Amino acid sequence: MSYLDVIDTLQSIADGVLFGATYSLLGIGFTLVFGVMHKINLSYAAASIGAAYASLIVLSVVKAPAIFIFLLAGLAGGIIGGVIYVVCFRFIPQANPLATLMSTVGALLLIDEIIVHATVGIPVPYPALFSDVIVNAGPFTLRGDLMFMFALGCLSMLLLLGLLYRTKLGLATRAVSQQPAAAQLCGISIPRVNGLTFVITGVVGGIAGAMIGAAIGVLSPLLSLPLTTKGLIVTVIGGLGSIPGAIIAGLLVGGFENLFQYFRGVTERDLYLMLLLFAFLVFRPGGIFSPAAGRD
Amino acid sequence: MDFYLGLAQIVGVHTLLGLSAYCVLLTGQVSLAQAGFFAIGAYVAAMLTVLAGWHIAPAIAAASFVAGAIACAIGFPALRVKGLMLVVATLAFGEAVRLFFFNFDYQVARGEVKIGPAGGEGFRQIRFFPEHGWSTLDVLMFIWLFVALVMAALWWMDRSRAGAVLRAVGEDEVAAQSAGINVTAVKVAAMTVGGFIAGLGGGIFAHYTAHIEHAQFGVALATFAIAYPILGGLSSVFGTLIAVIFVQGFLIEGLRFLGDWRNLLFGALILLAMNVRPRGLIDAATIAAVKRMRIRNREPGNARTQGAE
Repeated sequence: MSYLDVIDTLQSIADGVLFGATYSLLGIGFTLVFGVMHKINLSYAAASIGAAYASLIVLSVVKAPAIFIFLLAGLAGGIIGGVIYVVCFRFIPQANPLATLMSTVGALLLIDEIIVHATVGIPVPYPALFSDVIVNAGPFTLRGDLMFMFALGCLSMLLLLGLLYRTKLGLATRAVSQQPAAAQLCGISIPRVNGLTFVITGVVGGIAGAMIGAAIGVLSPLLSLPLTTKGLIVTVIGGLGSIPGAIIAGLLVGGFENLFQYFRGVTERDLYLMLLLFAFLVFRPGGIFSPAAGRD
Repeated sequence: MDFYLGLAQIVGVHTLLGLSAYCVLLTGQVSLAQAGFFAIGAYVAAMLTVLAGWHIAPAIAAASFVAGAIACAIGFPALRVKGLMLVVATLAFGEAVRLFFFNFDYQVARGEVKIGPAGGEGFRQIRFFPEHGWSTLDVLMFIWLFVALVMAALWWMDRSRAGAVLRAVGEDEVAAQSAGINVTAVKVAAMTVGGFIAGLGGGIFAHYTAHIEHAQFGVALATFAIAYPILGGLSSVFGTLIAVIFVQGFLIEGLRFLGDWRNLLFGALILLAMNVRPRGLIDAATIAAVKRMRIRNREPGNARTQGAE
């Protein structure tokens, strides 16, 4: 391996880790909902892409600087998250995990089809910020748009952690995720906390969707299934219900993805990612930061 | 007419796929690997008939056994994890199988042309039915023979001790374990049977579509596989059949007159079905009602025969 190969390898890993911030955000969304409700929301990645589309529509009507697209996407994501809670979870018995699994699949298909219907199936270009900025650090180049995305991802994660660990709502959320019965006895309304969790994860997902659109340059409903898979992989590698785990796992998955792509090409990339997941399931089934015990 | 025969073929193959997920769901496990076993069955059966020149029946049988064996091997490590972890593990397995076939290039020169699976282009030369002069109706009968066999076997299993054991594990694992049931063995057995049925369905699928490629066996198909039994309800094998007819016959073909709007309605109707009937279209209450009706119909008949005596 020559010097240039080493540089190229490190460069692709660095790009992957920067892009991995989006996977971290998606992983946080899956993990939060799982932590609070012990349910999977399979429509999450589709809702994130949907929120990114919604922000485009708003921006095409109202003239605003491009930076607002992330705020709008977060807002749209929050609204979609709330709607998804009402239609997929609110009126279905808690004790029936299969029914909510299926209803979120229905929501996934519905969101994808709404997008296809609204855009006549044509991928839509998405504005990138700071794409003309390129930082040269020695032999490496860092793309400005990816760096901005990474910074934005870190900022949203910090805000989310602040929300969870510094506010009353965060306290209630963590209480419900630890012991729903006891939380209810303390006067916490579980449906309200569940609904608000969906809104919060929706906001995070909307920002992630906008970041993905900005990084790839186009939005397409074809993104939603691969992103669902990636988000779930991040959730499992990070450990169910663990937010720091999801953050680290997202960056890890992003880095490894680009590494495999560099060495084995784009067609075999995901195959090795699945093997990585299997390795984690066999050797560390609890994820990177496995919680104490007693979690399903 | 051919349209309806084709539709009945699709319903048959998808019923097999749904029943394979039904077996696993009975034990309370959600497996998204069924599309992977389906793909294995499809490729193995097609390679046996096209490259090795086998008859379709032994080829399908061999494909089922291969898929079942792989399901058994996957079952042991995968079933160590539960719930969401299992969903993701099986999803990853299914995707790994799909990506394997995406990169799988095994072509044999046969005269002028090369035949066999060609990576991303797929496997084109599966012509067993036209080469042997099977009409659409013959193929249809062939498919439904297997569907009927599998449904009868599962229905019988449901009424035997094996069915009670599967459901016991699905309802409450700890209680089942304390009643002396080997939970791991039951789960792996259900996974193996599920893989076997999926392989069977895949083998048939490869031959009636005549062209298979990796994209047909993605996450979407895996989701459909579990959607049928969940939509139909886990109380009876007929639930799966009715759900397949509802999805393939009504949602996909029946609503075609709606044009573009059909796809929109598809997801919305699944959502609505789950909100209205969270335990499936045919749940335990429906079955109890049907049984009561049968008993009530029998009673006046009995009274009349007694009166005649």
